[in-house]
Amino acid sequence: MDLRFTEEQLKFRDELRAWLDANLPRTYTEEVRDPANDADALVELRRRWQKKLHEAGYLGMGWPPEWGGRGATAVEDGILQAELYYRDAPLVPNFLGISLLGPALIHHGSEEQRRRFIPPMLSCDEIWCQGFSEPGSGSDLASLRTRAEPDGSDWRITGQKVWTTFGPWADWIFVLARTGDDRYGGISFFLVPLDQPGVDMRGLKQITGESEFGEVFFDDALAQGEHLVGKLGEGWRIAMTVLGYERGGAALAKPAEYDAQLEGLVAALRETGRLERPELREKVARLVVENEVMRSNGLRTLANLAAGKAPGPESSIEKIFWSEYHQRLTDAAVELLGPRGQLTARSPGARPEVDWAYQYLWSRAGSIYSGSSEIQRNIIAKRVLRMPTAR
Amino acid sequence: MQFDLDEDRELLRQSTRELLQKEAPLAETRAVMEETPEGYAKGLFAQLGELGYPSLLLSEAEGGMGALAFAATLAEMGRVALPGPFLDLCLAVRVLAGCQGDVAARWRDRAAAGEALVVLARSEDANEADPGAVEARCSDGCVKGTKTFVPFGAQADALLVETRDGLALVVRPGEGWHATALPTLDHAQRFAEIALDTPAGLVAQSSRATELLADAERLGSLGAAALLLGLMERSLELAVEYTGEREAFGVPIGSFQALQHRCADMLLQVESTRSVVFRAAWAEEADPAEAAYLVSVAKAWAGPAAREVCGQTIQLFGGVGFTWEYDPHIFLKRAKTLETFYGSTRSAELAAFDRHARFGG
Repeated sequence: MDLRFTEEQLKFRDELRAWLDANLPRTYTEEVRDPANDADALVELRRRWQKKLHEAGYLGMGWPPEWGGRGATAVEDGILQAELYYRDAPLVPNFLGISLLGPALIHHGSEEQRRRFIPPMLSCDEIWCQGFSEPGSGSDLASLRTRAEPDGSDWRITGQKVWTTFGPWADWIFVLARTGDDRYGGISFFLVPLDQPGVDMRGLKQITGESEFGEVFFDDALAQGEHLVGKLGEGWRIAMTVLGYERGGAALAKPAEYDAQLEGLVAALRETGRLERPELREKVARLVVENEVMRSNGLRTLANLAAGKAPGPESSIEKIFWSEYHQRLTDAAVELLGPRGQLTARSPGARPEVDWAYQYLWSRAGSIYSGSSEIQRNIIAKRVLRMPTAR
Repeated sequence: MQFDLDEDRELLRQSTRELLQKEAPLAETRAVMEETPEGYAKGLFAQLGELGYPSLLLSEAEGGMGALAFAATLAEMGRVALPGPFLDLCLAVRVLAGCQGDVAARWRDRAAAGEALVVLARSEDANEADPGAVEARCSDGCVKGTKTFVPFGAQADALLVETRDGLALVVRPGEGWHATALPTLDHAQRFAEIALDTPAGLVAQSSRATELLADAERLGSLGAAALLLGLMERSLELAVEYTGEREAFGVPIGSFQALQHRCADMLLQVESTRSVVFRAAWAEEADPAEAAYLVSVAKAWAGPAAREVCGQTIQLFGGVGFTWEYDPHIFLKRAKTLETFYGSTRSAELAAFDRHARFGG
């Protein structure tokens, strides 16, 4: 057993830290608190941040160098994500493109597709959003009804997608659409431009008050024949492989992000002299313990990846842990900070370290997206514990 | 990076499992709980002594194998809910190895060989789970004081008594040693209150004693967390086995989602405990600056997690889970005891906070 980073990995981390010191002057929370930054300005800021990361070689860490990646190991990627989240760096606009579509194209796409789409995805000259969920198909994704009908060598898409993160700013969408009646084998994977007559993208206001999500309506929208990814009917298989990548990626990022938030909470309580109150101190201590346990799970996952073991269904444990932990953390913080904990980012007197009001609301999304906690528990019961299937 | 144990330790873990499967099945645990006043199988402990297990925490030259081997061994003992003072014995051997004088060395050898039972006697206040203020004295070759919740104190051949003057070794005499058994909710556990007015010698002066006891406290927490891991792991296995066999409404009850989700949560607790216990044990060997913090985290997590898992197993068994005849209660009882001692959950949580690199101080 060995949970140490190698000399090389530590060198990578030190260089990264120096680069962040030089290139990340403000946390994203500070940017949001700046009244000069409206929603569009924040998107532009995130776009510039992604370009910077790309130029410095910090995107597509595990991808082969020929596709703009670094060919790095999961450990380096884990280190990078942890540092970015610990520092509250802006989230890159193409995070879904890079975590889901990129691997899909590298593993299942054509040479032409990779050449055409990967460079502008990494440079953020094209922003991608994800078209999987539908109003009637969330956890039961395979019941999706958006259809793709052949039109010569091209395809015409009709239907509705929802929860399309970053949709209002996106140029392209990757869509799962039905090309046949078979539950899984009748689903195909298409790349669709959003700037065309048959597409109507609308912002969807979330409980946080922002409209970072979208809902998109397709009415005979065009998908070119060469923009089918993989073979016809392979969409489900491709989507499931890439969703697996999405679940593995959070190993150290989440505990690092929550570490920073815990530090913000402790600083605020210390400053107001309330950390000495035993009932507050005990609550914070419990949160520290749980986050460290989460990091232990993450280090174990990373060590297993480094030893060449594929992440198994145990990644469901991590997904449940971090999403439900964040709800406990933000709930406790808002309570322990008193009424001040409820102030929104730009309210006078809002704590500068963490946008607690936003985090509190945002934490409700984590246990729903990317496989709800209930789906994750089903996966654990069936695939890890091998419990009997209902007849 | 590598999470798995290396070959030597994995081999030790496997041979320990085989030994305990043969020598300490749950039927044996029951017999010990119900029938023997010792509360443990002396024969098995002698065997463990011959095999060198009580020396696990000594240096390599003295036959030790390090904290990872210690944690792996105790997790296996947790799986069979092994009754008896194995953890206490390991800690006493470790403390004796740090003491001065021939007497301490002789008792260390006897304890390490499984020939004598030596345990630590610290607590004087039954209202507090963690050892606190000490009134006991050792002067003029005599120890005076009363210690409570001494694990297997009535069965011990010698005690390492924390006094205001240092650590005293008290060899069980014919007189001046009055032990009162303290039966607790864990029917396999034996505690005693011990009133002492008996000849004894100091084996460690105050400052040295403080160091040795802090070291034993940390390793005690790690060992208890590892035992808790084994207890909850086996308890969840029992729950999954039982719900897969038991039928109601014409189907195995394990096919009901309400029960499946409960078991999924139990697995989250078990696997998270495994991650943090072995990380803490690894730090004990390889990252001493973080070890105390991580051990506190591990103990603070493992106690409530095991209590929760072992309690849920009783629920999943339904009515028979409440009977003496079925096994789940054995695990809950031990889990509750171990949660309380070797660093209570509350003190471990606060210690974790204080030892955190950025929050502490």
